[in-house]
Amino acid sequence: MKTIISITDLEKFYSTDEVRTIALNKLSFKVNEGEFVAIMGPSGCGKSTLLNILGLLDDPDGGSFIFNDIEVSDFNERKRANLRKHNIGFVFQSFNLIDELTVYENVELPLIYTGVKPDERKKRVEEVLEKMQIMHRRKHFPQQLSGGQQQRVAVARAVVNNPKLILADEPTGNLDSSNGNEVMDLLTELNEAGTTIIMVTHSEHDAKYSHRIIRMLDGQKVTENVLV
Amino acid sequence: MFRNYFKIAWRNLLKNKVYSFINIFGLAIGMAVTIMISLWIIDELSFNKFFENHDQIAQVYQSQAHNGDIGTGQAIPRPLEFLLRQEYGDNFKHLSMSSWNNSMYLQYGDNTLSKRGNFMQEEALDIFTPKIIKGEANGLKEKNSIMLSESTAKAVFGNEEPIGKVIKINNQYDMLVTSVYEDLPTNTDLDLLEFIMPWKHYITTQSWIENAADSWGNNSFQMFVQIADNTSMVDVTNKILDSKKKANPNVAEYNPQIFLQPMKDWHLRNNFENGVQSGGRIENIWLFAIIGAFVLFLACINFMNLSTARSEKRAMEVGIRKAIGSNRKQLINQFLSESLLVVLFAFVVAIIIVLLSLNGFNRLASKEIDFPWSNINFWSLSIIFILFTALVSGSYPALYLSSFRPIKVLKGTFRAGRFAALPRKVLVVTQFTVSIALIIGTLIVMSQIEYSKNRPIGYDKGGLIQIPVMSQEFNGKQDFMRNQFLASGGAIEMSTSSSPTTAIWSNRGGYTWEGKPEGFQEDFAWTEVSAEYVKSLGMKIVEGRDFSREFATDSNAVLVNRTAVEYMGITNPVGKFIRDEAEEDPEPSLQIIGVVEDVITQSPYEPVKQGLYVFDREGNGNYYNLRLNPNKSVSENLNIIETTFKTHFPNLPFRYEFIDEQYAQKFAAEERVASLARVFTILAILISCLGLFGLASFVAEQRTKEIGVRKVLGATVSNLWMLLSKDFVKLVIIALLIATPIAFYMMSQWIQKFTYRTDISWWIFVAAGLGALIITLITVSFQSIKAALSNPTKSLRTE
Repeated sequence: MKTIISITDLEKFYSTDEVRTIALNKLSFKVNEGEFVAIMGPSGCGKSTLLNILGLLDDPDGGSFIFNDIEVSDFNERKRANLRKHNIGFVFQSFNLIDELTVYENVELPLIYTGVKPDERKKRVEEVLEKMQIMHRRKHFPQQLSGGQQQRVAVARAVVNNPKLILADEPTGNLDSSNGNEVMDLLTELNEAGTTIIMVTHSEHDAKYSHRIIRMLDGQKVTENVLV
Repeated sequence: MFRNYFKIAWRNLLKNKVYSFINIFGLAIGMAVTIMISLWIIDELSFNKFFENHDQIAQVYQSQAHNGDIGTGQAIPRPLEFLLRQEYGDNFKHLSMSSWNNSMYLQYGDNTLSKRGNFMQEEALDIFTPKIIKGEANGLKEKNSIMLSESTAKAVFGNEEPIGKVIKINNQYDMLVTSVYEDLPTNTDLDLLEFIMPWKHYITTQSWIENAADSWGNNSFQMFVQIADNTSMVDVTNKILDSKKKANPNVAEYNPQIFLQPMKDWHLRNNFENGVQSGGRIENIWLFAIIGAFVLFLACINFMNLSTARSEKRAMEVGIRKAIGSNRKQLINQFLSESLLVVLFAFVVAIIIVLLSLNGFNRLASKEIDFPWSNINFWSLSIIFILFTALVSGSYPALYLSSFRPIKVLKGTFRAGRFAALPRKVLVVTQFTVSIALIIGTLIVMSQIEYSKNRPIGYDKGGLIQIPVMSQEFNGKQDFMRNQFLASGGAIEMSTSSSPTTAIWSNRGGYTWEGKPEGFQEDFAWTEVSAEYVKSLGMKIVEGRDFSREFATDSNAVLVNRTAVEYMGITNPVGKFIRDEAEEDPEPSLQIIGVVEDVITQSPYEPVKQGLYVFDREGNGNYYNLRLNPNKSVSENLNIIETTFKTHFPNLPFRYEFIDEQYAQKFAAEERVASLARVFTILAILISCLGLFGLASFVAEQRTKEIGVRKVLGATVSNLWMLLSKDFVKLVIIALLIATPIAFYMMSQWIQKFTYRTDISWWIFVAAGLGALIITLITVSFQSIKAALSNPTKSLRTE
């Protein structure tokens, strides 16, 4: 199986005027294509920092990060954005839909940024909305939807570009359990279809959907259990 | 992509109606001001472009020095024509002498009208190429012919055919109408040309004009030229500069310089200082161009401030877009398209504002500007203008907003940093600096005008009218008419004068007096008046006595003004003589019988010129000056005077001018500048306040929680009001400190151009500062009091 992510001795610091906090402390692990990995740990252990670096939203202060055979730790903002938009989809705890755009337009947005032609866009957006069962809500604005529906839209937006990797940051954190389960089922389906998923979560329940759980503390990996 | 941008922009506009209103309306005002000023400037720049040969046309000017003071003007002597034709003819394609713009009576049947026009040579038609509608192309061939403008022909003949008809001019000459030409547009500087008559007629009508043919000292005429194709204005000027001096060494002591004033400079650069071109209306163009740019910039600042102030709200969107794959350039494009949309709306509103206020603006600026609906240049410039405004107002917010780091905003840890508000503060200070400087500038312009208006003018201008009597018809009748008017009861005194009360038409030198310094080059304002001039105007005799009909010797008497006494350097002037220096046939010496208080006849901003009031022996005054009967109403007096006039001059129209109105004309140019500046200042303040209002509401919103907590802890409404207002007040005070020295410096420069000028007093700065503070407090207080009054439980719950 091909390795999609390989990090070695990854480091990240945060400094304020007086204090220097180590967010990631020489962290190393690999993720293979098609894997579903859950990252757990108490608040402040560095999991969100890790996710941001994996998602090319932030750059590490040391160590190596190889994404899809390319060393990306020294990429500039423009190169990262370019790699990101073609390969990575995000699902956030707070959905992060754009309030001024309709469901349809929110999902369409990544396709616009990757320069997909309008006809093709329409086809793909409708396809993914069908799949997420929110086609009937396509003209609504986010604030007119329930939390579960909003997260489905966010997932739809994350996958519309057929990314290799989906990064989910507490995807069920703002949802009740039934809506949460629905979203987890969706992610599992996507994973079964071949998409690699890395998910940060506090929920043992959600973590059970994954193949492997990496537990972190103080910026370091403490355990790793393979579930499958 | 852009569709998506515009969509978001549009929805944002709808969602935040107050901000959108402030943005669009503020920008619209700024753009309207800029459009209006541009229309005004375009009109100013279009002057004289109507003439086909405008880049080859010039008027011949002359500079002469008197005791080192160089005066420049259009007046040239007649022999210059022959000199230029004979010796310098190659340089000119055409050359035409011209009279001044004269008012004449045109009589046809029972219809008599007073119209203005010039006597010119045939070549004037080649120079100015009036469009002939009817009749001969050259209508000046015959000595007794007249060419009429279209509207004059219509006024005189109605629907009758004008060509071939005979018009009586000034009840004296019969002139045959040879052609009718299209009226000149208003944006030309050639004086109102309602008719043109042949020069060859003019030079035979009066003996002084005939005699002027070989007089180099009689500068009483104008000359227009069209230069040859292969030469330039500068080249021709260089050739003719000393022509007069060379041809006539007698005048060399005045160092006369003959030069061309190109038509392109007639309108904008017609001021001369010590013989050197020193600007003119072009200064107003720069002034208003700068004001327009500033007002627009103020409006752009509103947009920048409100956009960046609301950045926390937009930050989330920026974060999401970046996470999804947008790069910074795309975000910059997005925000620029947003500002483009706002500017587009603002432009539409601005056009509406311009259309609604164009009439008022025209009145204010004395213009007849039409909205250029069908002018492609205007619309293409508008597109550039829209793009430019969008770029100026949108680029800073675009750069700022697109710089947000996605992880921060997405994790919800985003807070605008401690210094995020600094650029906003700088921009607010900039806005108020400009506004306060404009307030100070406007106040100083107004106080200068007020100061000059309050200057003692040396006579009583109220209840005084003048009747122009420049027609042979009136010759020798002045005493008779005085008796008639006095007997009628409409006037209590009447005099005649060779110039109007509010101007000097004649200047003379060539005199000597006891104690005159060697080589002194005198130059007096020269007015010929009848015996009751001083009495009728209400002038003051400060020494000696007035003219009197009792003394036959008064026909050779002269009154001098106070300045003249000083100028001539004589003590005990009364009884002294002023002698004509001419060797042949000198005029009788003039004996000073009295000194009068200085009278402002020319610029109210300049010192009064040394003047001689000479007894009018010939009785050919150009004006009747009538002191109205104070016991009757003005309209009653005018009725009586008109009836009297018509009884004796039934064929002539009764025309009159109020002297106080004529005098007020002297302030027209400055008052126009002042009232325009006032309007633009008010708009600048309005725009700045709109922005402040928006910012205040933003700050109040942002600090809702803080206000709630403070209220719970016991803060009063006035505590909170002070808390929220003081930041803005601080900014305005900083602006005041910056604006004051700048405005003081600029206005000190401006006021230098007036010899008679007010001091820039401290109260102007205090008034401007207090005004700005009060306006700021009113603007900000609305929001801060609203926030302070809100229920704290509500504001705390929203977190």
